[in-house]
Parts: sequence; C-alpha cells; structure tokens
Amino acid sequence: MFSFSILSLRTLKWAGVTALLTASVCSAAWAQTPRATWHDSLATGYTALAEQAGALDQAASTYCQAPSTDTRSQLESAWREAFDSWQAVRFVDFGPVEQDNLAWQFQFWPDAKNTVARKANQWLGSEQPIGVEQLKADSVAVKGFPALEYLLFDPQAAKSQPLPQERACALLTGITALLQRNSAQLQQQWQDFRPHYLNTEQFQRTTVLAAMHGVETLRNKRLAAPMGLEGKPRRNPYLADAWRSEHSLAGMRASLVGLQQYFLPGLRQWMDNDQGAELTNRLDQQLTTTIQRLERQPADLQQLLADDDGYRNLQLIFIEVDKLNQLLSGNIASQLGIIRGFNSSDGD
Amino acid sequence: MARTFRYTSLALTISAAILLSACDNGKDNDPIAQSPATTEPSAVEQDQSGSDTGTSAPAAASISEQDVASHYADLAHATYLDALTTAQALDKAVDALLAEPTEANLEAAKQAWLTARVPYQQSEVFRFGNAVVDDWEGQVNAWPLDEGLIDYVDADDYQHEMGNEGATANLIANQTLTIGGETLDASELTPQLLADLNEVGGSEANVATGYHAIEFLLWGQDLNGFEAGAGQRPVTDYVQGEGCTNGNCDRRASYLDAATDLLVSDLQWMVDQWSADEQGNYRAELLALPNQDVFQKMLFGMGSLSLGELAGERMKVALEANSYEDEHDCFSDNTHNSHYYNGKGIQNVYLGSYQRQDGSVISGPSLSALVAEKNPELDQTLRDDLDNTMQALTTMKQAAEGEPAMAFDMMIAPGNEAGARIINDAIAALAQQTGSIEQVAAVVGVESLQPDDAGHSF
Repeated sequence: MFSFSILSLRTLKWAGVTALLTASVCSAAWAQTPRATWHDSLATGYTALAEQAGALDQAASTYCQAPSTDTRSQLESAWREAFDSWQAVRFVDFGPVEQDNLAWQFQFWPDAKNTVARKANQWLGSEQPIGVEQLKADSVAVKGFPALEYLLFDPQAAKSQPLPQERACALLTGITALLQRNSAQLQQQWQDFRPHYLNTEQFQRTTVLAAMHGVETLRNKRLAAPMGLEGKPRRNPYLADAWRSEHSLAGMRASLVGLQQYFLPGLRQWMDNDQGAELTNRLDQQLTTTIQRLERQPADLQQLLADDDGYRNLQLIFIEVDKLNQLLSGNIASQLGIIRGFNSSDGD
Repeated sequence: MARTFRYTSLALTISAAILLSACDNGKDNDPIAQSPATTEPSAVEQDQSGSDTGTSAPAAASISEQDVASHYADLAHATYLDALTTAQALDKAVDALLAEPTEANLEAAKQAWLTARVPYQQSEVFRFGNAVVDDWEGQVNAWPLDEGLIDYVDADDYQHEMGNEGATANLIANQTLTIGGETLDASELTPQLLADLNEVGGSEANVATGYHAIEFLLWGQDLNGFEAGAGQRPVTDYVQGEGCTNGNCDRRASYLDAATDLLVSDLQWMVDQWSADEQGNYRAELLALPNQDVFQKMLFGMGSLSLGELAGERMKVALEANSYEDEHDCFSDNTHNSHYYNGKGIQNVYLGSYQRQDGSVISGPSLSALVAEKNPELDQTLRDDLDNTMQALTTMKQAAEGEPAMAFDMMIAPGNEAGARIINDAIAALAQQTGSIEQVAAVVGVESLQPDDAGHSF
C-alpha cells in the first residue's frame, strides 16, 4: 500500500558512510554497470521533478499575486506536470526518498477516509499563520500533491475558502514552497547517495523489486481497486489517485513512461544476453502498448466507471497492465532469480 | 480490508484447490461442542527443545519438521480457544448489561472486551497466510469502520470513507437500509442479519459486526481528538423505556446482543477449524501439506503482520498522517494493547509457545529450535529482534497506561516528539525482525514468501 520497505534501516546507514566513501569514488569504474545507468536515469527523473516543482511554486505565487483565468489555468497545468514528474519516479521506494517519509509527503495515498481534506480544512478554518515551517510540523496528508489538488479542483474546498482567498492562497503557496524544497532536497540527496548505491550490490535487486512493486501497485491499487476487482465488486472512483483532477489515468501513463525512461535502460544492461534482450524488448513493447492505450481514452477513470462502455475500456487497460505485471514479476524476475520479500503491501 | 497483493503471475506454492475448499466451509455450521479434555494442547508441553537455544543439541535430538508444523496448529487452536472463552465471557457481561444497564455493568462489559482482545490479537499472526482465517476475519476484526452505519454519530466530528453510501445509515435508528438502489429489511437485528450487512454495498468500511462494532457500542465515538480520553457512551443508551438516551435503546440493545452472539459463534467455528478432533477441517488440510508449505505460512504470517500491517498500516499511517481515524482501537483507546499482543503473537509462533489466559504456558517443537540446528546465529538474531520489538511495545504500553497516560491517539499528535519516538522505535524493531524472518525462510527451505492467492484471483 504505502511505500515502506525494510530497506529503511539499511538506507539510514548510508548517511553515515557517504562522507567516507565519496573520497574514494571513481565514477568511471562503474560506467558500464546497471546501477550506474539507473543512478543517472533517476538523477534525470529527480531533476525533472525538482524543476517542475519549482515551476509549480512559481505558478502558485503568480496566480495568487494576480489571479486571472489565465494564471489559474497555468497553475493547474503546472500542477499536472509536476504531478506527472513525481509519478515517473514514484516507483523508487528506497534511498533518499525514504528519509523524512518524503514519498508520503509528496503523495499521501490511498486516503479512503479523506484525511487530505480534513487536514486542509483545519488549516483553512483556523487562524494560525501558514508557512513552510508550520506545514512541516503537520500531517503528511497536507504536504503534497493531493492537498494542492484538493485546493485546486475540489468544489468542497471552494465552498469554504475558494482560491484566491487569502488563507487558501497562503496554504497553496505554503505547500508548493514545501514541495519545491523537498524535491530539491531529494535531487541533492540522490547525488550524495550515488557511491553507496553503486557500492552496494543489493541495490541491483532492490531496484528491480521497486519497479515490480510499482507496477503491482498500479495494477492492484490504482486500477483494480476502483474498478471493483479487488475484494467486493463495487466500483469506486475515490479509491483511485488523482480523481479530483480527473488525472487518474494520465498519472498511470506518467508512471509507465517513467519506468520506460528511468528503469528500462539499467535493466537492459543487466539482462544483456539474448534471452534477456528478448525479455526487455518485450517489456519495452508492453510498456508502449499500455501507454498508448491509456492515451486513447476519451475520459478519465471516474467517467469511464460510470457506464458499461467505459468500463470495457478500463478492462482492456487492465489486461495490458496485467500483462506488464506478469512480464516483470514473472518472466523477468525469475530470469534474474529475484524472489520477492515482504513489503508494505502485505497485510490488509 | 483484505487487500493483500497477489502475484498471480508466479507459481503458487499452494494448490488453489485446497484454498478453495477451505473457503467453502459454511460459516453457519452448527457449533459443535468441544471436548476440552482431548483438545487441551498442553499435552505437548514436555518437549523442551522449543525453549532451548538448541546450539548444543546433538543430532539425535533433532527436531521433527512435522512436529513443528503440528505444534503450530496446536498454538493456533489454543489461541482461538482462549479467544472463544473470553468472547463467551464478554457475551455474558453484555447480557448482564442489557438486563441491568448500570455503570458497574457497563464497566464490567468493557473490561470483558479488553480481556477478549488479549488472545484475539495474539491470533492475528495466523491470519496472513492461512486463507481460512483471512477470509473469515472481515466479520470479526475489520477496521477502520464507518460507525455511522451502526448508530448515531456526531455530525461535526465524523469522517467516513468517500463514496460509502452506508456511512450514515444508522441501522439502530432505521428499520430499512437503502444502498445501491436496493432496500434491505433491517427490522429484526439478528446475528444472521448483521453478518449479511457486513460490508454491505461493497464497502469494507461498512463494518456491522465483530470486535470493533462491539467496541463502538460499548464506548461510543472518541470525540477527544488528540486529547486524553476514550469514547464516553452513556450507559443510559441501554435503558429501556423512560430514561433511554439517544433513542432506539431497544434496537441498540438487540444490536449489541446479536453482535456478541455472532462473535462467539464465529470464534467457535474457527476453534473447530484448528481442532485435532475434527475430521476434514483446516488443520487436517494444513498438516497434509509438505512441511515447507506450512513453514511458508508461519513465516508469511509473521512477516506480513510485522511489516505491512502492524508497522505500516496500524502505526506508520496513523503517525505520519497524524490521523486518529487510522487508530486501531479508536473508541476504547486500547490500541497500545492491540499492538502489544500482535507483537506477542509473532513471537509465540517463532518460539512455539503461548501463555494461555489461565496463566499456563504451552510450548513445543518450534521453528526457533529448527533454525537453531541449522544456523544458531540466525536463530539468536531473530530471537533478539523479537525481544527488542516486545521491549519497544512494552514501552508503548507503559506510556499509554502510565500516569499521566499518553494513549496512542496522543502519541500521534502533531509535534509530540516523545510519542513519535515511541512509535518509531516500535516500527524500526518490527522492520528489523522482518529482515531476519526473510533470512529464516531460506534456512528452513521456504523458497518464496509470496502471499498465497487465497482464491481471490480475477
């Protein structure tokens, strides 16, 4: 469910050893290894996230200083772009993103009990000053993309304190500033993490497990659950992520694009024999097929759930995602001898 | 919230046929009277090896894998048996409360509920991995619940699952329930009706039955937020006729009566599943499996409860989101004990021992002894890890029961650093032991810790 791995403890240790290792690092020595490729790819991904979060913060300030239809729509686009750049690296559940629960700070989800709205409403309804420091001390639910999404897209929020009213704007810009700070921190820490990541053999397996877990989450939680395929057969769009902005399917697309850009190249390097190349080519194709199917949808998940034609579209998406999952967690994992351990999704 | 990830793509170690037949057993079998003399699991008590480190054990004293597997079933049986007897005591205490709604009787019923949680929470380690338990437990221990399905709630301080039509149905105040375009008759609040209404409309938050429904009916909503104090339901909610508070006291009494009756019959069913005296029950199916498959279930149960469920879902989510809606025993503020006894259950399975409600201890051939024969160092590591977890959970329990008390819902308040430290220490200890559990799996021949499919595949 939430990204939370037993690697947390191992990761905590790297902060201590980083300084020692940095001196002895010769990056050229790892130029050809899968981990070097993964590190570079993900550095690109984290940089994009930091840039988009910066642009979002800027767009929020601009809108609140000069509210207009134009600045509002620019702000909403900036949210979508920053959210997508987070989706692209969201599968990474190890390393710096585990520190301070950054992953949850970016996106607290699932949120069946609507904690995001509850926490945001507390800020909107109170008198206490709103700033980055104050927000830092509060719930992860109010720190990230879902809380911004609530302010931007949920009529419920607009009912009490619509943007650009003062407190709504203060909360909006406080969160975007925190997001910007967190993403810059993540980008920097990922660089600091490099020697430890390259020196630790175990991260090879960990990185593939992260991708497996990411696809599994997409299949089971982001898609199957709202479709009513998990547990009781009830369709419920609120179980999806980004339902408020009608960006659920687009977010899935962004996650798959992220896997293709930031995960696949390193995997190709690891699986460099004929059989491996055949499997990674198939993975590439399956990612493309699934991405294209997601792009062809006439509406977002909530609307597709509402009638049988739409539901059939979702079933076809599910079939592609399921194939993707089987390929990665089945064929590829067994080719690499990767056995799944426990993760946060065990249990309920 | 039975939402375990399923790996349909990988070979399953357990045959689907067995799992399916385990699920087919009806829930409403006549409760069959147990013969306590023959089911008493302490018969296996004299085996010492379970509690030794085993490092010096000669080859002749080798632990039999089959014995470890069957002792696991004995532990489960003893734990469920205690859960049953304490639930029967709760049922009696509730009957007394309903016959005579006094403060003393309400307090006695609450105490009985708290006592009943002790063995039940230790049984949760049997849930993950054993589909027979996982498929059954939604009616017994589901949470978090949208309690507005059951009874009145404070309109200003009630957060329910989005999209849940049943969240404010208030079955106690209403004779019918309309959900998903269907109208259901709820005029007679029988155990069967409550069972049928559990997860009505397809929402897992529509918990109509089990420990937490009963907890809500005894304590009421906890409206204290992060402040001290549990739910404060007045005993007059059960006064019949004049003096009844909050209306429909007759239906509230029927509801509580039916819910406790159902809990008893559900637990009876589970006791029978693990009994050595029943034919064709789950125990028989389990012990017919290769030993490694049983070990897989033992370890999968230990690891899943440790990490994903207890450390993650029940602690970390509540802490990081500062959300008392995500507190496990949110009405009674008994969360610290629920966590403590979950941890204890995990330790029980590894050490092959269980302290019963009457104080006696059963112990027998354990996974620990088996591991000690093959890798004494690893065995010691996991034992130490389990001890550390219990230490951390003891600290949590002491803080929650201390003076002044810091209950779990206070520990998770924003800015409570001392509280956060207590919880984070427990989370770290649980994560640590999960790593050792993974290593133990390899030592006892478990190739994969995949969750079984539990018959839920698409």
